[in-house]
Amino acid sequence: MAPGRGEVRRVRLLGAAAIPAGVLLLVLVSGARAEDPTLAQVTFASPSPSPSLIPGPPPPTPLPHPPAGGTNQCFECHRALNHRQETIATAWQESIHGTGGVTCADCHGGDPNSDRMGIAMDRTKGFIGKPSREQTVGICGSCHADAQRMRKYNLPTDQYSQYWTSVHGQRLAAVADTQVAICIDCHGSHDIKKASDPTAAVYPPNVPKLCASCHADAAKMDPYGIPTDQYEIYSKSVHGVALLENADPRAPSCASCHGSHDAKPPSATEVVEVCGKCHTATQALFMESRHAELSTAAPKCWTCHGTHDVAQPSQKLFFHEVQPDYQCITCHDLADRSLRIELDRFKAEADRRCDTCHHPDSDIYAQVEAIAGSLSGAQGTFDSAEARIHEAAGVGMIVEDADVALSEAKTNLIQSQAAVHTTKLTLISQSAAEAKTKAESAEAIARARLDESLFRRAAMVVVVALIVLIVVALVLVRRRVERRPGDDGQGPEKTGAS
Amino acid sequence: MTADAERAPAQAGAGGWFEQRTRGRALAAALLHVRIPAEARTLYFGGSALFLFGIQVATGTLLALYYKPTPAAAYDSVLYVMSDVSFGWLIRSIHHWAANLMILFVVLHLLRVFFQAAYKYPRELTWVFGIGLFGVTMVFGFTGYLLPWDQRAYWATVVGTEIAGFVPLVGDQMLVLLRGGIDVTEATLSRFFGLHVLVLPLALAVLLAVHLTLVHQLGLANPKRPDPRGREPEGRTTPFFPNYILDELIVWYILLALLVVLASLFPAGLDDKANALETPVGTKPEWYFLAVYEFLKLVPRIVGILVPIVGLGLLTVLPFLDRNPEVLVRRRKIAAGVATVVLAAAVALTARGFLP
Repeated sequence: MAPGRGEVRRVRLLGAAAIPAGVLLLVLVSGARAEDPTLAQVTFASPSPSPSLIPGPPPPTPLPHPPAGGTNQCFECHRALNHRQETIATAWQESIHGTGGVTCADCHGGDPNSDRMGIAMDRTKGFIGKPSREQTVGICGSCHADAQRMRKYNLPTDQYSQYWTSVHGQRLAAVADTQVAICIDCHGSHDIKKASDPTAAVYPPNVPKLCASCHADAAKMDPYGIPTDQYEIYSKSVHGVALLENADPRAPSCASCHGSHDAKPPSATEVVEVCGKCHTATQALFMESRHAELSTAAPKCWTCHGTHDVAQPSQKLFFHEVQPDYQCITCHDLADRSLRIELDRFKAEADRRCDTCHHPDSDIYAQVEAIAGSLSGAQGTFDSAEARIHEAAGVGMIVEDADVALSEAKTNLIQSQAAVHTTKLTLISQSAAEAKTKAESAEAIARARLDESLFRRAAMVVVVALIVLIVVALVLVRRRVERRPGDDGQGPEKTGAS
Repeated sequence: MTADAERAPAQAGAGGWFEQRTRGRALAAALLHVRIPAEARTLYFGGSALFLFGIQVATGTLLALYYKPTPAAAYDSVLYVMSDVSFGWLIRSIHHWAANLMILFVVLHLLRVFFQAAYKYPRELTWVFGIGLFGVTMVFGFTGYLLPWDQRAYWATVVGTEIAGFVPLVGDQMLVLLRGGIDVTEATLSRFFGLHVLVLPLALAVLLAVHLTLVHQLGLANPKRPDPRGREPEGRTTPFFPNYILDELIVWYILLALLVVLASLFPAGLDDKANALETPVGTKPEWYFLAVYEFLKLVPRIVGILVPIVGLGLLTVLPFLDRNPEVLVRRRKIAAGVATVVLAAAVALTARGFLP
């Protein structure tokens, strides 16, 4: 995800403040609490702390894990205790931990071999009971950061260190903000499921709703001053529709761009790489462009396509419907006339256009016009061919060969549209011209099929007319037969074989 | 037929030459010069089904000249027929529409015979062989549907054979027998093609021959009064030839015109090539199996399977179960009522199957 205006400002602010006064900041925030809104606005300002507010991951909570294969007396006693305890015990039993041999004592401490409370739940011997939110991440890390323990489950061990680089982890460690997400908020506590389990909250198609359970909650987000409409916007985007409505497992969820354990907004310089994780070919084309050469001063993916509200790209991305009000500061630093990007100008979808930066009097504007014209011509021919093929198929004609030609045209059209990321007119025009030629060929086949259909219908009329004539003749013969003496139905009083 | 009295007088020319060597005139007289009850109303359903079967034999033979019954080539061979063979589209489209109309007319014929009580004495066996023809016609449709090897054909066959797999006790064996294995593969296509062009035509021809012979021997039923036992039926009659034959011929021409119109305006389609890894949305069997398919979805599986099987069995032995000698519907209230309810349910279930 690309940062919004406020986020970028916050990055700058923090960058300016945090680097020279990092140590001081750490001291300031170390005792803070998220419940303090004033402090939240000041010290919690950055959702993406850089540099890190903590020197590194804290050590996992030391916990004496009982040896594998021992008894789990905790389960036997607690499930018989009351309904609530039975529910918890059953949830654990059915969880990935319960089936994988991870016992109660692995997280809660204590002696699972004893059925006596005084021994089993002896705090002097390591019993924790219900861990605090600060303790929980460390408890999970005591196993999940342990390569030796995780080897037999073939699980990665970097989630723990990743978490402490996330906005969630940084805030938890730096300011003891216990409102941030910790492991159990996403994975559950006793009822932990594998991420590949479709019923798990962390199963990729379920992730947007999981994130929204906090990030769409205005009360929870209020102390941090971040918007709560991302889920609503995302769910209508091309990504959201693909994942949530079409159940396309390739579509990105929140975690695809923000990370999961290391969740944070990608920085401006990271955006191309983040989008390029999926849009590999497009990224390569973009890297050939003049835009990529301009580095931070140039548009990135989100400048044209948005962030949470990514829509299907179209011709409209080239120009405003009504010429915009050009201001020098959109693209230039007034102090030295150097190129820059005024991020505010791309906040509204209607302003994510080439002519937001490129003035009608500029040479580049003329090039954009040529690119738009080239693509528009190819798209128009393609649409026309598609309509003819649809028309021919609608009258029952076999149009497979036309479909093949149209598919080839589609390939060239997509290539030409993708080539827009290079900003190179020659390359785009060449692909667009090929698309147009192939689309014309497809349309010619479809028109031939439509002509054939007309011929068939004309022939049908002739054949049916001939049949009608024959039927009329037969009806006349039939009447004549009826009038013949002896054949008027007054035959012998007998039926069956004669 | 071979008696001297029935021999035609010697004729000159080619007609006489053939007559002397075949004595066909006597045969034609025996087959055609019969009389039928003036009150008989066949509605030409049976004759129409016969005509459509003839169309199927003719067009099917032409299609078989080009068709290649392997998964690799079947689809392309059908595409070739539709795109490159002269009037191939017309032949296949008429085959497609005639198949559907044949099933429709066989069902209409069955209903006509039921409601006119034409299955009663002495035509019990005619009815039994007619039910056999109905069954063979349905299997014709089922096996033919797979042959284009497109997505619709493939997945409709998957669904259809799965229904057979639900039959208690022998379902698994039936499924393997039908498919030639666990899945619908080239083995399925081979045996469906073999059934469609060899076994079923032969079976239908034999059943049809017996059915028509019985119709000829027993004559058409009078829907107004039952046949008396032990003596010839009474009442006004009309010549089978040329009167009835001319009527039938007019209907056949109208059917031919209908086929030409349907084939020209709605040619047989072809979906994407069959892909076992891509299940299309809304896979359904053909319309004539939709009622059973929908019924299966509404009731427990065992009920959904047993009811059609038992129903077909009861239909077959109906003449032996229905001891009521009356033929008029108003005097057969129970039979007519049950049939109307079953028919309404089948129509409603089929209509439900067409809903998205």
